[in-house]
Amino acid sequence: MSISVSSTPFRRSLRSKLQALRDVPVGSWFLGAALAVLLEWYIGPALAYALGLGQIPAIFGLSLILKKPWLIPSVLLYLVLIYGLPLAVMARLSAGLIRRLEARLSTGVYVGLHLVLLFFLLWAWSSADDYRLLVIRLLAINILATMSLNIVNGWMGEFSVSVAGFMAVGAYVSSVLMVWGFVNDDVFGPPVFPPQLAPMAFPIVLVIAGAVTAFSALAVAIPSFRTRGDYLAIITLAYVFIVRSFFENMEFIGGPRGFMNQPEVAGFPMVFFWTVFGIWVMRNYVTSILGKATNAVRDNESAAEMMTINTRAVKITAFLTHAFWAGVAGGLYAHVIGYINPATFDIRRSAEILGMLYLGGLNSITGSLLGPVLFMFLSEVLRPFQLLKWLVIPVILIYAMIRRPRGLMGFQELRIPFLERRRIAREEEKLHGAAGD
Amino acid sequence: MSQIAQQVFNALQLGSFYALIALGYSMVYSILMLFNFAHGDVFMVATYIGYFVAVGLLGLVAASMLPLPSWALFVLTLVLTMFLASFVGILVELVAYRPLRDAPRASAAITGLMVGIFMETGVLALLGASRKDFPALIPPQTFQLGPIYVTNLKILTLGMTLLLLVLLYLLIHHTKLGMAMRAMSFDYAVVPLLGIPMNTVISFTFALGSALAGAAGILYGMSYPVLDPYMGVIIGWKAFVAAILGGRGSIFGAVVGGFMLGAIEILVAATMPSTMRDLIAYSIVLLILTFRPYGLFGEEYSARLRL
Amino acid sequence: MALLEIEGLTHWFGGLRAVYNFHTRIEPGEIRGLIGPNGAGKTTIFNLVTGYYRPTEGRIVFLGRDITGKRPNEIGKLGISRTFQNLRLWTHLTALENIMLAYYGQIRYGLIGAFFNTRRRQEEEARIEVEAMDLMRMLEIETYAHRVVSGLPYGIQRKVEIARALATKPKLLLLDEPTAGMSPAEMLETMEFIQFVRERFNLTIWLIEHRMKFVMNLCNWIQVLNFGEVIAEGPPDVIRDHPDVVRAYLGEMVEI
Ligand SMILES: Nc1ncnc2c1ncn2[C@@H]1O[C@H](COP(=O)(O)OP(=O)(O)OP(=O)(O)O)[C@@H](O)[C@H]1O
Ligand SMILES: [Mg+2]
Repeated sequence: MSISVSSTPFRRSLRSKLQALRDVPVGSWFLGAALAVLLEWYIGPALAYALGLGQIPAIFGLSLILKKPWLIPSVLLYLVLIYGLPLAVMARLSAGLIRRLEARLSTGVYVGLHLVLLFFLLWAWSSADDYRLLVIRLLAINILATMSLNIVNGWMGEFSVSVAGFMAVGAYVSSVLMVWGFVNDDVFGPPVFPPQLAPMAFPIVLVIAGAVTAFSALAVAIPSFRTRGDYLAIITLAYVFIVRSFFENMEFIGGPRGFMNQPEVAGFPMVFFWTVFGIWVMRNYVTSILGKATNAVRDNESAAEMMTINTRAVKITAFLTHAFWAGVAGGLYAHVIGYINPATFDIRRSAEILGMLYLGGLNSITGSLLGPVLFMFLSEVLRPFQLLKWLVIPVILIYAMIRRPRGLMGFQELRIPFLERRRIAREEEKLHGAAGD
Repeated sequence: MSQIAQQVFNALQLGSFYALIALGYSMVYSILMLFNFAHGDVFMVATYIGYFVAVGLLGLVAASMLPLPSWALFVLTLVLTMFLASFVGILVELVAYRPLRDAPRASAAITGLMVGIFMETGVLALLGASRKDFPALIPPQTFQLGPIYVTNLKILTLGMTLLLLVLLYLLIHHTKLGMAMRAMSFDYAVVPLLGIPMNTVISFTFALGSALAGAAGILYGMSYPVLDPYMGVIIGWKAFVAAILGGRGSIFGAVVGGFMLGAIEILVAATMPSTMRDLIAYSIVLLILTFRPYGLFGEEYSARLRL
Repeated sequence: MALLEIEGLTHWFGGLRAVYNFHTRIEPGEIRGLIGPNGAGKTTIFNLVTGYYRPTEGRIVFLGRDITGKRPNEIGKLGISRTFQNLRLWTHLTALENIMLAYYGQIRYGLIGAFFNTRRRQEEEARIEVEAMDLMRMLEIETYAHRVVSGLPYGIQRKVEIARALATKPKLLLLDEPTAGMSPAEMLETMEFIQFVRERFNLTIWLIEHRMKFVMNLCNWIQVLNFGEVIAEGPPDVIRDHPDVVRAYLGEMVEI
């Protein structure tokens, strides 16, 4: 690897600018974003019209860049006026105030508050446009699937490709339950329960779907006791094919033609909640000793066994956790799109999620977020290319893999300055406490 | 009885395709410890190359610029296709694997998958979604051997496969490059001692695997004359599974695995609804690997490292 | 009651007989030595005792319980821990994480605690962290706590490995060539260190070593292995002059 020329004046000034940006509290950015959303809400359409964009650019005008390059100046102007300016102004103005406010918050309240803010921001932003609403939900679902895959491929160091199969099981189980329970359907007849209850039942159905998926994942988890690496990869591959073929043979739920009629229960709040909840649970897991044992299995399995780590339990838990959340992601997907078929979840989908994972980085929660975001960003820019998109994306991913074989954030986490300061403070407290006795 | 014999021929035919493609996976694995996830799509591209070669040559024959009997036409198509296909493999290695030689193997797996997607999309974009019909290079004929009927295509497929296997054996055991390949599968370090650059050996291996995939493509195209850009996904992954079934990196195992998968599939197809074929076949594979985690002829290596 | 009792232990690797009819009886508080030329089968015996291999024949009894054929993590929980001939740390993790993970067998909070970050988990892990830090302080490696182990000096890595072994709260500690790759000065230090650890944690120690001086000074009883069989055993002075031992080692005995 070449040593980057990090000492040029340009790079240095860039770095100090970046540092300055990092010092702006997250809350200030959120305030800026809130202002941007409000602005877009009130003057966005008018501005877009005035600039000749017709309507507000759905995803930052990304897909316009290639389709109608002559609109780029207008798009840029729109982005600067609606997003850039409020962000910059608010970040500047409110930084001091927010910092003072932050200092009074406990860590838990800080995180909770930011999540609530993030939720309303994203909700408000995406409600302005149906396409946005779709993309953001798909992004959240991909994040959930990627993070779950990261447990097995990143933290535990296996190479599993069964994520599409897990999503398929979750999607089918949840769809069948929801349609049987809450929809008047040709196959399942009249709803068993009052349809109004559907939104409330959906979380339960998702948990059931996840649990069924996890159960089916025993088919790959148990062989993992005796084999690792390539052979396990094949077993996970076989799983994908088996699942696909299984649903193709289920004629009563449409077979290869697919299954539809899912009730509309996966709105943005539902998807957001499950994604955040899933990431939280998985984060808890991988930071606990029980979960970090996956790292021990990866780095040296025999030493793990002899240091009292129950490697079988670790493997089962990792695979089942992956399967559960991938199943939930599949269930959400089915209800966001409202139609699934076995081909939706073929090996190609696994390849996509793997691409997101390895782009973002192994063994990293930040990577599991970043990978899908970048991937979908790319996919959005290239959308006008339609089919050819799939010529460009592989090339970009290959290039990324060659430049950063461990992914962008492999084995690293983004450190939020506030939380970092709190952590250091805690460490120091511990040191003093220990020195006291 | 004749039913069974008939099915044996079918199994051997299907197994031939799988074996020829599986070899490509296994040979690359044996020297690089890496699965070439793009190989299925190499097979697909090779089949399309074969299609164009065949159409081109037939065109020449029709314009009476190439007065050749049909068997010679077939051989010429086969050789030309194998030759051209080998470059596809070399290219794939150059783009997807060489830059990642020292990277984690999973990263190389990702680039392999991506090259595969690239090739599928590329063919789709160039040729459109419409399926191509592989021309009949040899007029189909049916022979009667006692109570059973076989087409000349089945015999040709099987015969060509056996011939190629023998040639491959001779190549690996009696040429310098072949020996370097075998040496490399034991130990990287010895290859420079043979006076052959490692990269040459690697390219040669990819070329060999792709050429065999090319041969499989021609034989496949003649038997199932409908080509589409996703055929590599379907046949390729199965051949891959066959390679594993035989035992990772074992050339003998790849052939046996290929024929075995062919047999399993034909057996399932003969006794159950045809849609169940993949379901049962892959379930059997999963079971076999659960109880013989290192394949039929592969050796256990990484799970229990010496202390 | 003996701490560890082994009867008729035999192990074959395919056609290779690595250990043959090995017997021993280790009493609490001993420092026991196992020596022998390369490939004699010493490490294999440790691997059998810790459950990494299932013996072809024989019985291993620890604290009155038959542990033959039990899984390594169970044996570890019963109180046998070890270090490895070649370091086997978890290379991507920090020193502290390496040690904390060895508390795995003592964790009570379960998966619910892990997934939902319950108070109980937080308390347990906080306690484990304090204990692990105490261990590191005792071995004087606490300054390396938050460094990734693969970047640490070799000697420190060795200590981290010992700390990790101690974290499982063993009664019997197996050390496989603890001074491999050390200078004579470091070796002396390690000798003291092992004495210290034994007393501090009330341990019984069984060690494999090639350095005669080390074994002779430290151990109260030594067994000599050659081609998987015990060819001599006794207190250090007996072993030192034993003709079979000298023969088995040929020139190697001359060393220090
Ligand atoms: N997993 C294994 N498979 C096959 N043979 C093995 C295995 N482990 C050890 N052996 C063989 O068993 C014999 C004993 O090996 P062992 O590692 O126990 O020797 P040792 O006494 O520890 O030697 P050293 O002093 O070199 O560490 C050797 O001949 C070795 O090659
Ligand atoms: Mg040894």
